Amino acid sequence: MADAEGPLTGLRVLEVGELVSAAYATKLLADLGADVVKIESPGGDAARRRGPFPDARRDPDASGLFCYLNANKRGVTLDLAAPAGRSAMDGLVARADVVVHNVHPSGRAALGLVYDRLAAINPRLVLASISPFGAVGPHAGYRATDLVSWCAGGLATLNGDPAHPELPPLKAYGDQASFQAGLNATVPVLGALFERLQSGLGQHVEVSVQESVTAILELTFEYFPYCGLVASRLGAKPIQPLCFMECRDGWVFVCCVEEHQWKQFVALMGDPEWAGMELFEDRLARGKNFDALQALLQEWCREQSVMELYEAAQQRRIPFAPVSTVGDLLASPHLAARGFFATLEIPTAGSVRVPGAPYRFSETPWRLRRPAPRLGQHTAEVLAEAGIRR
Amino acid sequence: MTDRRPPLAGIRIADFTWVWAGPHCTLQLAHLGAEVIRVESSTRPCVTRMLPPFADFKAGPNRSGYFNQYNQGKRSITLDLKRPDGREIARRLCAASDVVVENFAAGVMDRMGLGYEHLRQASPKLIMISLSGYGASGPDHDKVSYGPAQVPLSGLSSLTGYRGHPPMHVGVSYGDPTGGLHGAVAVLAALLHRARTGVGQYIDLSQWETSIAVLGDAILAQAFSGRAPQRDGNRVPHMAPHGVFRAAGDDRWIAITVEDDAAWVRLAALMGPPELASDPRFVTLEARKANEDALEALVTSWTSGETPEALTPRLQAAGVPAFVAATNADVAGSPHLEASGAFTRFEHPQVGVRQHLGAPWRLSASPAGVKTAAPCIGADTDEVLGTVCGYAADEIARLREAGALS
Repeated sequence: MADAEGPLTGLRVLEVGELVSAAYATKLLADLGADVVKIESPGGDAARRRGPFPDARRDPDASGLFCYLNANKRGVTLDLAAPAGRSAMDGLVARADVVVHNVHPSGRAALGLVYDRLAAINPRLVLASISPFGAVGPHAGYRATDLVSWCAGGLATLNGDPAHPELPPLKAYGDQASFQAGLNATVPVLGALFERLQSGLGQHVEVSVQESVTAILELTFEYFPYCGLVASRLGAKPIQPLCFMECRDGWVFVCCVEEHQWKQFVALMGDPEWAGMELFEDRLARGKNFDALQALLQEWCREQSVMELYEAAQQRRIPFAPVSTVGDLLASPHLAARGFFATLEIPTAGSVRVPGAPYRFSETPWRLRRPAPRLGQHTAEVLAEAGIRR
Repeated sequence: MTDRRPPLAGIRIADFTWVWAGPHCTLQLAHLGAEVIRVESSTRPCVTRMLPPFADFKAGPNRSGYFNQYNQGKRSITLDLKRPDGREIARRLCAASDVVVENFAAGVMDRMGLGYEHLRQASPKLIMISLSGYGASGPDHDKVSYGPAQVPLSGLSSLTGYRGHPPMHVGVSYGDPTGGLHGAVAVLAALLHRARTGVGQYIDLSQWETSIAVLGDAILAQAFSGRAPQRDGNRVPHMAPHGVFRAAGDDRWIAITVEDDAAWVRLAALMGPPELASDPRFVTLEARKANEDALEALVTSWTSGETPEALTPRLQAAGVPAFVAATNADVAGSPHLEASGAFTRFEHPQVGVRQHLGAPWRLSASPAGVKTAAPCIGADTDEVLGTVCGYAADEIARLREAGALS
């Protein structure tokens, strides 16, 4: 490493975040070297109450979600609804480059999180405001949880089981809409910082969680403007096999997009006679006749081991994947060889492994420098640095 | 106010990506005002140019909504990278660029003489990022990876699904945009670092790893207890009800979530009868989780008689987070998204003006977001070769004649 500092070392960031979206945005910055101060209300971020917890005590300093998202940050408690808390925040804003928050538009004024007011204190400030439906438009006042955002953005209706139309549109695991929003806040924040090198001025970024989901509808959104068609979780996939198959020791994802991949898979299965049937002659035919194909593939796959089938398929350049369990990830020799998992200290749980650097920079390290803060752990230290008296 | 420029005005990106992950990365940079030049092949066009939906069901490499969504605001040139003269043009393009982005299989750029170690000889301050399925190192680095296989590989499928049912997809090739967005963050951080220090660098991004980065809480659940969370449909341990409920209409559904006991009292008041709010089966989160089947049946019997559009404002007015489980048609027709400026409509030479989705954010001072429709394949070849790579018109004609520009 030519440079022991991160690419964002020297950047001062404040976060007023609850749960995931703002916290993930500032985690991305903190992990690249920024000095992030998380401002919590005296009751603490709701992520402290979310878990998972190492034991039955539900210690708010040991919540897994909180510790993962807020490592590398320092923590300050301020009551922003009170003048003294707001004035302390203003003192920190005066020295900050970036503020990221996810306070609902209806609650921002009461906490002083209004761009014009903050820009008057610090015109170089980049302020990012994340909200469920953005700050303008007829639904700007609506509230959302992650599931509501995932649905409002149009993703849940794409996921379901055509064999079970009675089952509802299905979310992905976790707070995925919020992770997407965090990523989508970080991009324009860094862009605005780059622009500031020229103009010397900050600006305000408004990020909509709903739009962060509509942004990733892949090819489905355009079915409406291009063809007038409504996408549905109950439609059949046009090409097959792209499906989950149960093996004797777990699940595998069978993935033949190109014809040569299917031919290789047929050879791998030992050229069964049925594979030559007209029903399965190309990927579209296999899509149409998937019920028949599925039963035949399942019969064969049930006898296989996941990892053996995965390796054998990959040797033939067929892009199969194991359906990894979380345990498989932690045990993966590949991820271990890359040093992907990092070690995080959690006071009541000791050292645990967490996802580490999602990218490797050749010249600047990604580092876990400190554990997530206990509630209010750095209040005195951070305010003293800024010369703020309470 | 002073005249503000787009954030990445003057930054040029040589874009060797295809399908979705890489193009999603460079789309973010185009939104911020970078000049993104996609290097394509007319004999092997991007997969997304060849996939539906095609405008008005007429197929063609410039008519796909998939490509035209994720390549807005970019330019396109066609080169035959199998030919030495085609590769020389690519090298000149890279030498004139600030950032090179690629998501070929491992080793392909190196074999074409377009690897980072080659390119940095000509441009020591170059920033280059490779987005690959498994990353540039490690025992699995040369495995093949397709978008749909990333979701199961990452662990997300094993966590997603109905209770007691098989693992599931999430509806889109989720590892692609997640990888692409992380890639954009990395490139932007490297640009800021270069502005401060004058040093460029190479970034190795593994989509497998970026997909795990958004599963931190599940990793910690495993680390704490040795067990991952079980597939449980739309339910979560910390809220109930928390689901997508059938409403009136043809396959219409509404998401309703109750964050705490007070919100349950407000929902119960809407649902009725009056004594529901004090029903001991539902008064606390613990009780609602213990009786969740009965709770969901009650909610469904209330929602199934009304449309999700009628229910949403009533629930929101009562402070209960809820919304229609929107389809693509609901998104396209949303007056809210229209009013908030979510859509773009630019003239495209072959499909006319179509509705697309723009950047999911707004900047207050800098012009940003989509400024042009996606390019037709090779539309900018001559101009880019002339003004960026420094070829004279007769050289361009010779290169075309020789087949280097196909």
